[in-house]
Amino acid sequence: MQERALALLKFLARRVLQAIPMLFGLATLVFFVSRLLPGDPASVYISPGIPPGVAEHLRSQFGLDRPLWDQYIAWLSAVLRGEFGFSFAHGAPVATVLLQVFPNTLLLGATAFLIECVLAFALAALAVRRPGSRFDRALSHLTLVVYSLPSFWIGILLLSLFSFTLKIFPSSQMHSVGVEDLGRLAAFGDLLKHLTLPALTVAVPGTAVIARYLRTSMIETMRQEYVVAATGMGLSKGRVFRSWILPNSLGPVISVLGVEIGVLLTGVLVTETLFAWPGVGRFAVMAIFTRDYPMILGCTLLGGVLVIAANILADFIRAWIDPRVRLG
Amino acid sequence: MRSGVCSALPIVLLLGFLGCGTKNEARPDASLRSAVVVAIEGDVDSFNPLFAEDITAGEINDLLLPALVSSDFDAKSGQLNYAPLLARSWEYAHQHRDIIFHLVPGARWTDGQPVTARDVQLSFELYGDPEVASVRQASVDNLRPTSGNQDIRRGIEVKDDSTVVFHFVKAYAGQLFDAGLPILPAHIFQERSRKTLRTDPVNKTPVGFGPFTLSRWTALQEIVLQANPESVVPYPAKLSRLIFRVIPDYRTRLAQLESGEVDLVSGLRPEDADRIARESNQVEIISTPGRDYDFLGWNNIDTGTPAGSPGAKPKPHRLFGARNVRQALTMAINREELVHAYLGTHGQVAFGGISPLFRWAYNDSLKPLPYDPQRARLLLEQEGWKDTDGDGILDKDTMRFSFVLKVPAGSQLRTVVATAVQQQLRQIHIDMRIEQVERATFWQDVTARKYDAFLAGFSVPLQMQLEDLWGSDLDKHPFNLTGFRDARIDKILAAAGILSTETDGAALWKEFQKIIQEEQPCTFLYWINNIVAVNRRVHGTHIGVLGTNHRAWEWHIDTVGQAGAASSHKPADAPFASE
Repeated sequence: MQERALALLKFLARRVLQAIPMLFGLATLVFFVSRLLPGDPASVYISPGIPPGVAEHLRSQFGLDRPLWDQYIAWLSAVLRGEFGFSFAHGAPVATVLLQVFPNTLLLGATAFLIECVLAFALAALAVRRPGSRFDRALSHLTLVVYSLPSFWIGILLLSLFSFTLKIFPSSQMHSVGVEDLGRLAAFGDLLKHLTLPALTVAVPGTAVIARYLRTSMIETMRQEYVVAATGMGLSKGRVFRSWILPNSLGPVISVLGVEIGVLLTGVLVTETLFAWPGVGRFAVMAIFTRDYPMILGCTLLGGVLVIAANILADFIRAWIDPRVRLG
Repeated sequence: MRSGVCSALPIVLLLGFLGCGTKNEARPDASLRSAVVVAIEGDVDSFNPLFAEDITAGEINDLLLPALVSSDFDAKSGQLNYAPLLARSWEYAHQHRDIIFHLVPGARWTDGQPVTARDVQLSFELYGDPEVASVRQASVDNLRPTSGNQDIRRGIEVKDDSTVVFHFVKAYAGQLFDAGLPILPAHIFQERSRKTLRTDPVNKTPVGFGPFTLSRWTALQEIVLQANPESVVPYPAKLSRLIFRVIPDYRTRLAQLESGEVDLVSGLRPEDADRIARESNQVEIISTPGRDYDFLGWNNIDTGTPAGSPGAKPKPHRLFGARNVRQALTMAINREELVHAYLGTHGQVAFGGISPLFRWAYNDSLKPLPYDPQRARLLLEQEGWKDTDGDGILDKDTMRFSFVLKVPAGSQLRTVVATAVQQQLRQIHIDMRIEQVERATFWQDVTARKYDAFLAGFSVPLQMQLEDLWGSDLDKHPFNLTGFRDARIDKILAAAGILSTETDGAALWKEFQKIIQEEQPCTFLYWINNIVAVNRRVHGTHIGVLGTNHRAWEWHIDTVGQAGAASSHKPADAPFASE
């Protein structure tokens, strides 16, 4: 048992160490690719009536007139100091800006992930009650269709229906005007109302994927001899499901969940812009348009860290709960 | 398996609770009904007028940090009028080269310090300091002497705490305009490093003395201003709060306007403005002639030839170098139809480069070149353009009349107009291909003259200063994007620049339009109205040429809730009411 725990820790340490060069490679790639974009942050100051010296001064102030390698080394050293550079557009260290808005993205992402997991579990459980039934087949087709829909389309659909037509949920932002005048409970309710549509927008495609994987995994597990034996021994369906089918079906799905975090982040990027949700995604989109290079890099690195961390965590959990997983 | 259903149940109940429990309240608290909510597309770039380039940021800064004078646009004369603001009065001296401003007594910064003449002096020092690199640096160009920090101290002289003198190098029409920049607190800014001022945290917590103060700024979400009860410049705002909500999506802004969540949305598309005007008795549409126009830029010069250097004469462009060709292109495009189809009553056909708003300068004896494809074909034939090989496209010396029109991505109007122009040019056997280009890339290409033709928009300045757009020295004036060079235009620009009264230049500007009309360096398409939708409960707005939030301290709301009542929005051409 102790040997297995030690092996798990070694496995975790190895994956973390492997992630470092991956992140370094990602950062380097994004740094140089972002500089291939035409224009720069000073472009906005190239306008009739503004002396040309203003843009030049800005380039000099932010070191954009220095050789690219110098800029790269300066940025890397800023990353090592934990600052991630200085945002041109926000006039503050990137880390400070991201720390302010990351909780908003985390709230949206975590809520969406929770909805995904709960809905997918419920749908898969309903489908495997009678595999091949009308409901099962309908679900199979529906999840395929839903998964093919882009997030922004789902968002527009939800907005049109629940916000613009039925006027049930607000269409943008995190809070209503004047939320500071409300009591805590009312303010929380206001936040939940604002969170509902963006969270559903992000969650719907993910739900379809996880539900499909979970259903397949459950059906395969149900065919295993130990499940057939347990059922034959007269144990209740519920007990068989809770004790054997569910735990043994989760393994492959956990890996999918790790990958799904990355997909979810992409969805958050689009959704935050559509719903004016003030998170990392919106800041990233704005940074691309204003050529705020340090901000682009900060957002990309943060996204990279999250995706890699989620995958490592998923692999670790899978290895932890399934002794058959090789740790070598 | 029941557990699946059980897990989903709380979610369904929660959605039901959120959805059915409460309708989507625009303003959860009744006290907020005394606030006005303005929807804006993007966040402001800075609360420091030294660096704010964004229009909304400029308007907000004007409410926090008033200038010496307030301006208003008189649509009857087409001129700017000036009225007291921080300066209670002023007088001219030394043949109008000096202006002596007397400040309003009792003005205080929100931190309790008095507003003095030194604040005015330091503000202009900062505007003019190249190390600060303010976007408004050019405003001090005409102060005596013209460069350096110490020089500006001599150009703006502090007589005493409430008297400040501006010494200009010459008397010119824009003296009050140039002196009308927001004033910054000297006691806060004098000790700051000028080199790093752009990124100084002090820019995020402005200390002002205007009718509003900044209550809260949440990046990419909202800016909340509240009335400054101590303000004497001009007086505390009538609204308790003015809230700017950042809503990037156009459809969402409209939906929130119609649901009452926001009170004011600008930049409406004509079709939406007409629909709302028809359907809503809660919202009023204000469509005022604007300073924005769209045009087709033809590259007048051969790309790659030296431009503007003394003695160097760029070669004419292979397609658009000849005046006849440019005239033909304009005559082949049905601009009346474009306005009718896409702008309706919210625009008018443009020509000549000077907005009809500036009535004193606008040459109303000229008319746009007519839509006449037949005449266009003849003009092209005179220049040697014929379809000799029968492929349906004009050619000359083995060169086909075929080019790419660059269009900045993101504008629905420009995209459809480009397609209409493509079809109309096809009728006179010209092959135009459309290339949508990302905005930053577009401007980089166009300012570097890497294009044959482009479709873009410009906004004419409030002061009749057009050297940047039309001056022949292309190195000095990179925004002469078409590369049009004409000695007559240069003479007009030089002569107009030394006039002490703007309207004295009327004849010059009318001649200017005549030349532009003849030469057609570009095809002017249309002037676009500024279309704003405002909830009828909001009164006292001055929506017009100077912006949407101009003089917002005069806004007030109808507390009785007379939806559909007669509007009390002050038209933009109303006579200026002095404080």
